Amino acid sequence: MFRTSLQRRIAWVFVGLLVLVMGMVLALVRTGSQRIVANQARHELAIGVGEFERLLDQNQRQLETAASVLSADFAFREAVATQDQATVRSVIANHGHRIHAQVMMVAGTDGRMIASTQNGHGADVPFPFPDLLAAAESSGRSAGFRQMRDGQPYQVVLVPIMAPRRIAWVAMGFRLDDHWARELADVAGLSVSIVRIAPGARPVLLASSFGKPPGAAERYQTTRLDLGGGLQAVLQLPLAQVEAPFEVLLAQLLAVVGAAIVFFALGSITLARRIVKPLGELSAAAHRIALGDYGQPLPGQGAGDGKRDEIGRLAASFEQMQRGIASREDHIARLAYVDGLTDLPNRTHFLEAFAGMPAGAGGVVAVLNIDRFAMINNALGYPVGDRLLRAVGQRLAPLVSGPGMVARLWGGHFAFLLKDAGADEARRLADAALRALRDPITLDGQRLDIGSSIGIALYPQDGVDGGTLLRRAELAMAAARKRHSSLAFVAEIGAEPPHEQLSLIGDMRAAMENGEFMLDYQPKLLFSSGRVNACEALLRWRHPERGMIAPGRFIPFAEQTGFIREITPWVLDEAIRQLAAWQRDGLDIVVSANLSTLDLLDPGLPLYVGALLERHGVAADRLCLEITESALMDDPALALAHLGELAALGIKLSIDDYGVGQASLAYLKILPVNELKLDRSFITAIDREPRNAAIVQSTIMLSHALGLSVVAEGVETEAELAWLRAHGCDVAQGYLVSRPLAAQQVRGWIADHAPVAVG
Amino acid sequence: MMLRRALPAAVHTAVFTALLACGVQAAAGTVEARVESPAGQPVADAAVVLEPLAPARARLRPSAHATIEQRGTEFIPWMTVVQTGTAIDFPNNDTTRHHVYSFSSPKRFEIKLYVGKPSQPVLFDQAGEVVIGCNIHDWMEAHVLVVDSPWFARTAPDGRAAIANVPPGRYRLRLWHPLQKAAPAPQEIEVGAQPSRLALVLDAKVREPRPHTEVDQDHY
Repeated sequence: MFRTSLQRRIAWVFVGLLVLVMGMVLALVRTGSQRIVANQARHELAIGVGEFERLLDQNQRQLETAASVLSADFAFREAVATQDQATVRSVIANHGHRIHAQVMMVAGTDGRMIASTQNGHGADVPFPFPDLLAAAESSGRSAGFRQMRDGQPYQVVLVPIMAPRRIAWVAMGFRLDDHWARELADVAGLSVSIVRIAPGARPVLLASSFGKPPGAAERYQTTRLDLGGGLQAVLQLPLAQVEAPFEVLLAQLLAVVGAAIVFFALGSITLARRIVKPLGELSAAAHRIALGDYGQPLPGQGAGDGKRDEIGRLAASFEQMQRGIASREDHIARLAYVDGLTDLPNRTHFLEAFAGMPAGAGGVVAVLNIDRFAMINNALGYPVGDRLLRAVGQRLAPLVSGPGMVARLWGGHFAFLLKDAGADEARRLADAALRALRDPITLDGQRLDIGSSIGIALYPQDGVDGGTLLRRAELAMAAARKRHSSLAFVAEIGAEPPHEQLSLIGDMRAAMENGEFMLDYQPKLLFSSGRVNACEALLRWRHPERGMIAPGRFIPFAEQTGFIREITPWVLDEAIRQLAAWQRDGLDIVVSANLSTLDLLDPGLPLYVGALLERHGVAADRLCLEITESALMDDPALALAHLGELAALGIKLSIDDYGVGQASLAYLKILPVNELKLDRSFITAIDREPRNAAIVQSTIMLSHALGLSVVAEGVETEAELAWLRAHGCDVAQGYLVSRPLAAQQVRGWIADHAPVAVG
Repeated sequence: MMLRRALPAAVHTAVFTALLACGVQAAAGTVEARVESPAGQPVADAAVVLEPLAPARARLRPSAHATIEQRGTEFIPWMTVVQTGTAIDFPNNDTTRHHVYSFSSPKRFEIKLYVGKPSQPVLFDQAGEVVIGCNIHDWMEAHVLVVDSPWFARTAPDGRAAIANVPPGRYRLRLWHPLQKAAPAPQEIEVGAQPSRLALVLDAKVREPRPHTEVDQDHY
């Protein structure tokens, strides 16, 4: 019934107050009625006592009159006057019977008995109640209550016998028995008892109007009247008789109070429930709001309800608060989870969505990068870049329907999440994405062709957390881009276990400090002289625990992490120092060093290189810096500017891995380079691959036409070497010429092999 | 003749007795007494009786007669002294009947409801005190002292009484009143030729007229 403590408290307070008030009312009524009963009882008793006394008085006078009449009876007087005992006794018995006196006694004027109807009273003894005689002497007659010889109480009337002078006294006794007591009780309205009182003795009940002894539980208002002669009349008013009407009143009042309490309890419970129920509902609603459920309508806010009381207003405030919280949370969530530029989910949202994926089911995390986005940004301005990103986002967003997500990570990087999918779905998604971006995007009437690369990581094969999968997908994407493919799976690029990569970051820093890096030099053979007049400095890492680590395993990683910018200065410093050493030893040689994209974008590079050359006293034309085509692509203008500065120093520049990147012939026209290094993929089996041969042959002709020398990489067979020489290639580099050598071996190796016999 | 004058009976008796004495004994004396209460008030209706110490000297007076009439529902006189053997008439002069009675042992009698003069007088032949009442009128009351001596008198309202024709000799003087508080001790006196004057004291309650409960029929 009482579901909540508030409801219980409200009900208790109401009912308790009512009970209190009613209790006070009852107590007042009871006290008042008790007072009234007491007064009434006193009053009734006083009236009864008065009536009783009046009755006694009246009774006495009647008895006196009767006695007087009797005593005046001639025959009676005549008989008494005879002084004959037997006669006198006979007449008093006879005449006493006439007036219903139980005891008759005749005494002489000298106070001695003449005759008595009572046994035991002999003649010539003193009259037993001399006080009555004395009273009668003075007033002519007397009366009183006396206990006779038989032990019974009597009302005794003493009158003279006149003939005509007083000749004797006659005493008449009327017994006070129960019958008498009842008659008086009936008239007086009190119960009447006659008791004998004697000092030092218990009162003895002689007569009573009670049929049987009253119960101890009955209460009486009592008055005692001294009757004289050691007799006492006990007059009692039964209080129950007075209390009866008040008892009825009290019972009725109790019934009313009881009913009132019941009704009040029900009413207050109902009221409390009306108050508490909406509070409970509001409390539940607040709990729902706390849990983030803002969709539930609040109680008391239903249509047509329209309660305008305090609870209704509270509910309205709750409703307002809920809407406010929902709106702000929505806004915050937007800020936190949505990419402001494209309105796509951001990286955080993406990772959370991945974390929300059911475990066990497969999933796909793919990263798409817009090629050359930085270039577009720089060339066309950020507003265009932003609009481009929005346009790409709009094209990509519809590709993932159902369980999954398209998010923008940063820059031109977008990510896809496919839930419950595998490699096949990933491939279809990648195809769809590439197809979607195939059509040019027109911005301000300007058509932009954009390319993209996609790396795909599969869950759970390639990682179990979103961060790892994203990173590995990016690695795959970078790998795809590197090999000019549009798509790569993490599994295909054979990336090292993630933990090894992570440890390499720390190891590379330690390697720099511990001098674990070193440079090997691979000789370059100049066809025209048949001599080695140059070598390429190649970075080597001798790991104290893992031994030699292949450059392909840490250099791309250093490039990705930016650590390459710390390595390259060391490489340059080491290479130029070695160059200087060789020059001091009389070995005239050109040393090539590789620059990464990041190095090329470093504005301090030309100054640094110039300072090194000056410090080591090396002529600028003895240093050659090799750059890849792709290094130019990210920011061609800046790269071009820096290359120009390097060229101005007199440093030779070489384009590395020529032919596999997105090199443009236009760049060849403007780049201040001195040589092209043909990628080994063109050189391998060039003597048997007419297509490679055609490309290499035309490139050589083109380079020569542009005044560039041509270096062939990866020359491994004599046939290749022969073909290259036959077709006018300027320099050969590869295992056939020499594997990379330690610095101290170079001088000896050149001495041993020079001049090489050139067929 | 004298009776019809309705004189007090005692006076008649005294005169009558004195006349008798004169006729018998020439040298008779007179005893005059005055009875007073201890407070000095004269006591009326007291009986003064001389009893000769020598019994032979006393004589009965035959056919003595007295009357106690009822008038106005009262006995008149209230007190009477007679010698033993006197017959007393109780003439009823009221319109109502009377029922005269006496329960006194010297003379018990009863004259039931009658009017006028009863046919027979009542003979008081025994000395003693007789109280007479009326059964119809409780307040009515008469006292008769019956004595053996012929020498007695009743005091008048002034307390005086005189006994004439008393032969000289020694006498016991008895004083009596119906309401006396105690019987006075008798005293002896010597009666000579000269009148004896005695001052006597008697303590008696004053007679108070008892209220008549019956309304006088004349007033109807």
